[in-house]
Amino acid sequence: MPEEDSSLNRRSFVKLAGGAAASVALAGCGGDGGDTPTDAGGEDGGDGMGDGDDTPTPTATETDDSMGDGTDTETATDEPDMGFPVTITQGQPPSTLDPHNHRETPTDSVVLHAYEGVLTREPTGEVVEKLATGFERVEPGLVRFEVREDVRFHNGDDLTPRDIAYSINRIVDGDVGIESPQNDQLAGVTGASVVDGERAVEVESDGLNPVVFSLFASYCDVMQRSWVQADDTEPATETNGTGPFQLSSYEEGVEVVMERFEDYWREPADVTELTFLAAGEPGTRVNQLLEGETDVIVNVQPQEISRLSDADNARVAAEASTRIIYNGMRYDVEPFSDPDFRRAMNYAVDLDSIIENVLQTFGDPTGQPTLEGFVGHNPDVDPYEHDPARAEELVSESGFEGAELELHTPNGRYLRDFEIAQAVVEQVDSLSNVSCEINQRDFGSLAGELTDGDITTSPPLYLIGWGNSTFDASQTVIPLLTSDGAVSSYSNEEVDSMMEQAQNEGDREERESILQELNATLHDQAPWIFLNRQYSVYGASNRVEWTPRADERIDAYAMSPAE
Amino acid sequence: MTTVSLGRFLLKRAVQGVFVIWGVVTVVFLLRFITPGDPVTFIAPLDASQELRRRIAAELGLNRPIYVQYLDYLAGLLQGDMGYSYISNTEASARVFARLPATVELAVAATVVAVALSIPLGVVSATRRHEPVDYGATLFSLVGISTPNFWLGIMLVLLLAVQFGLFPTSQRGTGFLPAVAGTVGQFDPGLVVRLAVELRGEALLAYLGKLPLVTWLAHITLPAVTLGTYFTALITRLTRSGMLDELGKSYIRASRAKGLPESLVRYKHALRNTLAPVITVVGLQLGTLIGGAVITEAVFAWPGLGTELIRAINLRDWPLIQGSLIVIGAGFVVVNTLVDALQAYLDPRVVAD
Repeated sequence: MPEEDSSLNRRSFVKLAGGAAASVALAGCGGDGGDTPTDAGGEDGGDGMGDGDDTPTPTATETDDSMGDGTDTETATDEPDMGFPVTITQGQPPSTLDPHNHRETPTDSVVLHAYEGVLTREPTGEVVEKLATGFERVEPGLVRFEVREDVRFHNGDDLTPRDIAYSINRIVDGDVGIESPQNDQLAGVTGASVVDGERAVEVESDGLNPVVFSLFASYCDVMQRSWVQADDTEPATETNGTGPFQLSSYEEGVEVVMERFEDYWREPADVTELTFLAAGEPGTRVNQLLEGETDVIVNVQPQEISRLSDADNARVAAEASTRIIYNGMRYDVEPFSDPDFRRAMNYAVDLDSIIENVLQTFGDPTGQPTLEGFVGHNPDVDPYEHDPARAEELVSESGFEGAELELHTPNGRYLRDFEIAQAVVEQVDSLSNVSCEINQRDFGSLAGELTDGDITTSPPLYLIGWGNSTFDASQTVIPLLTSDGAVSSYSNEEVDSMMEQAQNEGDREERESILQELNATLHDQAPWIFLNRQYSVYGASNRVEWTPRADERIDAYAMSPAE
Repeated sequence: MTTVSLGRFLLKRAVQGVFVIWGVVTVVFLLRFITPGDPVTFIAPLDASQELRRRIAAELGLNRPIYVQYLDYLAGLLQGDMGYSYISNTEASARVFARLPATVELAVAATVVAVALSIPLGVVSATRRHEPVDYGATLFSLVGISTPNFWLGIMLVLLLAVQFGLFPTSQRGTGFLPAVAGTVGQFDPGLVVRLAVELRGEALLAYLGKLPLVTWLAHITLPAVTLGTYFTALITRLTRSGMLDELGKSYIRASRAKGLPESLVRYKHALRNTLAPVITVVGLQLGTLIGGAVITEAVFAWPGLGTELIRAINLRDWPLIQGSLIVIGAGFVVVNTLVDALQAYLDPRVVAD
């Protein structure tokens, strides 16, 4: 990257001149006569971003310094250290700064820089300690966390076990502060208490709760009890966590600015100032990145990939997410009541072609409900092959030749969802003995039919996506594929029984073995047309060293200046 | 025209305005019931239990009869309460009124751009009829009226922001008033004079470029031009045809015969009479711009009511959808009423009619 000293580079000069032209135009309109201080212009120099391929170039600041002491502008080589500011642009602004009062990824991405949980995950998905120094299962339904010492909240107070117990109870117990929408994210947890005389917290669950550590690795940020309960505290607009960044300013719905927390219990972050912006239009986010106004953008659309790939100052950064896209088939209606017909649908779909042509390789094929890297994934189960002849044969065997199908799909809810559905419909329709049409649906009404607890209102064939950030098979299979699942359109006694067995199995290896067998069964039974694992596709500035994570969290603590 | 008759006219307009706003509120309220999908679906997690869904519906009052919800909503509105947005975790009225200044600022800036460009262009076009400048202005008007503003916005960003780096691509930066306050606080005329005298152009530009007002101007220029282009074209045509009409009238011939300078004839007499209908259209268009800024705001990530409305529609955030639409509708009615009042003041025949 070229260093800039006292002089402006050509690009900055053009920017300033352009702004000046605009200033003259508007000043003239206002009758200022063009002699106002607006007779110049330029970029937003305040954030020190400049162009993406430049070093932070506070050109005006340099001039300020040189002017302030009355010396020459050429002395401005002693440029002030602007640190390493980073800006992240999401599609939506955070809805709140209260870490327990939301359920959205954009809000999570912001508050997780100020707050931390007792456990966390490595980018690979492995569960590790955060505010806890150890964790163990004391007995079925009771686990214990040892609490880290020398951790401070942003207001300078020490972290105590009481804060952790309070935070857990604030989520699972509606009588403690708020009715948290996250209470089902800590499914099975009934409460937490401080262990007398020890720096530890015990957490009780209803039943064995084999995934309790997975849940705590993904959810439950720790807040300070006394701070939350103080009369003048507004957790929705203020923060006080133990995380690596503390709040500087918050303009609701527009911008969040954080600064590095110097007393952080680990090494302070490389990033000195962290700004979150929002731009709903994917193209606008790409423009911001290319122009160096931001450093990381979310949800880059496949059609925008080439703009980033061709850029000198930015790159595409993609990672397989924890979301699976599938076509649910209702087990209780013909022709989907027949496993042969369901298998035929899987053979009819050319998944590799969809991933290559529709998703431009930003997707992985699936053949079971549990994603690779999750507890319970069966490595011996491969996705269905594309075999139209076999599909036609199975349709004939099922006795449902001439079946007319209709695939209900949302549009714009998931990455290229409608285009994926179009491809599926085309491929199924190309079978000689089945016809298929597409039905584009409003997501609200489709989701309403799927979640109303009445399977008869669900469409027989639909496309939907499911995210599971616990990295455990149970949190996909239970809600989607068991008889009592909240979003299930499938029922199979064998599956129910295996799932129950796994949930009551304390031995980790044995449990994983049961879940793997369960996934093999589900592959064979084909309750879904297994489609793709969705990718999170980001754009990142080349001035930032950063790798995306599978759980869709954007971790600025892991960012550093590029070499 | 008597003061009494003007007062009666304005009162009549105000009462009409209240009924129109009531109509807007009613339609907006009913929209929620004719739109497919249950708002609880968007608030509750996908795998939420039926019990949780029922509880959310009860908390939101969605299980009461429609007329009770309607009366409750009206009563709330009269107290400035547009309901609580569970999706955005905020009072809808607080969020809507927090976004309004950005939208008004953009609409006013677009109007300023439009008026400043269109009136001189219309006048020149009329006074140099059938000359190249007239053809140019007419072509500009045609293109300006025909160009969709979302496309224009995207093209301006790609060309002037991304390709040439002349402007920021999006966002608002600081608002106008903070920018003015910031500039007043830090502007140093002595320094500017010194840099100018010493012919240090780059340093001068760098200094001026850091001023908050200039930063604000850089952010608002492209959105304002995008939003104002259609309006510019419209007013240009209106001014041109109005001027041509006036210049052909007998009082203009009399003025010229009297020996008045041509500039006086054109600008004092002809232009003055042309501006009355232009002012009316400008006022009405300002109201339209407040509502019509939705797409422009989305393209530029401008944090105004339009961006909020799109976000709310995507999330089916009903309190915010309703609040945004009501404020946009009310803004239009208020601007219309003010324009009526101005027109009545300027032209007493309006009251008499």
